[in-house]
Amino acid sequence: MRARNPLRSAGSWVLLLLIVVLVFAPFYWIGSSSFKTPPDVIKYPPSLFPPTWTLQNFQKLFASTDYPSYLTSSLFIALATTLITVTLATLAAYAIYRLEFPGRLTILRLMVGTYVFPSILLLIPLFQVMVQLGLINSLWSLVVANVTFTAPFSVWLMRAFLESIPLELEEAAAIDGAGFFQTLGLVILPLLRPGLATIAIYTFITVWTEFPFASQFIIDDAKRPLPVGLAAIIGQYQIDWGLLAAGAVFMALPVVILFAFVGRYFVEGLTTGALKE
Amino acid sequence: MGNRINFVLVVLLLGGFALAQVDVRLWHMEQPPHRVDRVQELIDAFNAANPDIEVVQEVQNWGDVIPKALSAVRARVQPDILFAIPDFTLTMKATGAVQPVTELANNLHQQHGFLDAAIDPYSYQDEVWAVPLYGMVQSLWYRKDVLAEAGIEPPTTWEELLAAAEALTTEDRYGIGIPGSKSLYADQVIYNFMITAGAKTIFNDDGSIRFDTPETVRAFQYYHDLFQFSPPDSVSWIWGDAEAAFASGRVPMIIQFTTITTFDQQTEDLPANLGVVPIPAPAELGERGNIYYSNGAMVLTGDPAKKAAAEKFLAYLLEPDNYGRFLNMEPALFLPVTADGQEAESFWNDPLVVEYEDQVRTMVDNSAYGALFGFTTGQVFDGIGPISAQNLLSQVVQRVLVDGDSPEDAVTWGQAQMEAATR
Repeated sequence: MRARNPLRSAGSWVLLLLIVVLVFAPFYWIGSSSFKTPPDVIKYPPSLFPPTWTLQNFQKLFASTDYPSYLTSSLFIALATTLITVTLATLAAYAIYRLEFPGRLTILRLMVGTYVFPSILLLIPLFQVMVQLGLINSLWSLVVANVTFTAPFSVWLMRAFLESIPLELEEAAAIDGAGFFQTLGLVILPLLRPGLATIAIYTFITVWTEFPFASQFIIDDAKRPLPVGLAAIIGQYQIDWGLLAAGAVFMALPVVILFAFVGRYFVEGLTTGALKE
Repeated sequence: MGNRINFVLVVLLLGGFALAQVDVRLWHMEQPPHRVDRVQELIDAFNAANPDIEVVQEVQNWGDVIPKALSAVRARVQPDILFAIPDFTLTMKATGAVQPVTELANNLHQQHGFLDAAIDPYSYQDEVWAVPLYGMVQSLWYRKDVLAEAGIEPPTTWEELLAAAEALTTEDRYGIGIPGSKSLYADQVIYNFMITAGAKTIFNDDGSIRFDTPETVRAFQYYHDLFQFSPPDSVSWIWGDAEAAFASGRVPMIIQFTTITTFDQQTEDLPANLGVVPIPAPAELGERGNIYYSNGAMVLTGDPAKKAAAEKFLAYLLEPDNYGRFLNMEPALFLPVTADGQEAESFWNDPLVVEYEDQVRTMVDNSAYGALFGFTTGQVFDGIGPISAQNLLSQVVQRVLVDGDSPEDAVTWGQAQMEAATR
């Protein structure tokens, strides 16, 4: 057995520590700023810990914004978009990567090609489409718009997961008399769970932070999702930094909670049985 | 019998007219919640006093209102009233949706007396294209105790300002904070110095660009000299960063629309310690001037009933009893654009305005010397749209401060960029 090099081990720990600091420092800064008093939050040089702890930024946040309704809108849009994206992307990816039909690669390239357009370029035409569909000021407008951006990328993401499943499994299912949908539902989907989890998380987080469409398509304040609703607390000329930090904390908190606690079971549940012992 | 039927018909008809309500959709970009609440209070009072009109506010944000408004016009779902600044009005006017409000503006001018700096940027091609509602003016803000401690009088000339910035710079403090970013904030601050250097007009009468002048070069040279006493990170500042630096004591002087709210809420200093003076000018020129934004409201509906209702609402806002409450949705930032508004008790009785009355009076005085790039000659050219949108003034600032170009070269570059942008 080879002895472990203590220097190398220490180097790994230092590197890991550096990465942890780099990743968590902005979160820490936002978190600690949200508990500082207004003079402390802008103090120069800044303090690492709040000299005086206060909840006034959070009180102001809840007093001056309709946070519960923003949260409800965000959850609806994110969950609906995730559900539709996962369903569409899975079926589309299976068809493109597993079935033989003319033009499938062209279709794939076209789908991935749509992803290269910055969404901002499509704001005006999409606004007009939503007006014609009667979806302006409806949360469904955001679900539809978001799916058009998340689904193509998700199809592409599924490629590696689909290619890791041997074709022989489908052939064995066919020999056992399974039809197309049985093969897909009973053989492929259970093995695709890690892929499904990946695109679900990708879609959820992408939609959670989406701003341009949400800002354009929703007119009523009560229907606004979190990024747009909380943007209102930032004045153009004056910024209440403590309030801004409190808003950022409560913007990130639902996602952190979701993926720190619920998300873990979600991913575990999906990946259970993906690999055979 | 016949008479009775006629009577019933007449009653129904009159009742129908009485019940016919005109809906007016108002888009504005004053989205901080306290501003929205104040606008709603005014709308509620107006709607209660005018049962035949229902004004509804739909709050947008400045960051993306231009594409949204253009989309809405194209899809024919535009609001009936849209708040604006002069550049934005020009952009919207190109869609053909903006209705002239000349008659209303003339009537309101007779009643309330618009300031020239407020109405001029909306008056061109023989019409008035928006009703001015509130003004914003930049001034030099300073901490009285810091200047007093250094034995420095509030600067009134360029020379005094430069000397003060140098004297106030210490190991843990910079003498002044001015932006070097590619931003609207830097556009605004450099324009103050262009005005005082005698370079406020960037279009010739024929619409050609006259940016590359000795006066403009002088303004950029001065900005370069002053910037050496500004924090290094001010190359990326916007308004909020400057206010934070000022409130924290990192810089004792900034050029800003206001610092009153931040100073009041985020420092423990007393109001008496906050000083404000007009933008300093070169000693031998002495031309007082500062950038001034006239915020107005466009009417975008061609429907006669809606247009009349929209105009009635705008006139209601400018009534002195209401006007101060409207302006004080953000006290000590939004300034009156009318002569009687400047005297209105409803403006001066806000608690924050009472506390900082001296400072607000200086801001109000500065309003009379306001100018806005592209809107200084009574002739307005479409080219100002791309010049503003591309932040070409602050791009020239960046070439001087960040890229190390000489002011002469940078201004020549700016002239070429402006000519290209307006072609």
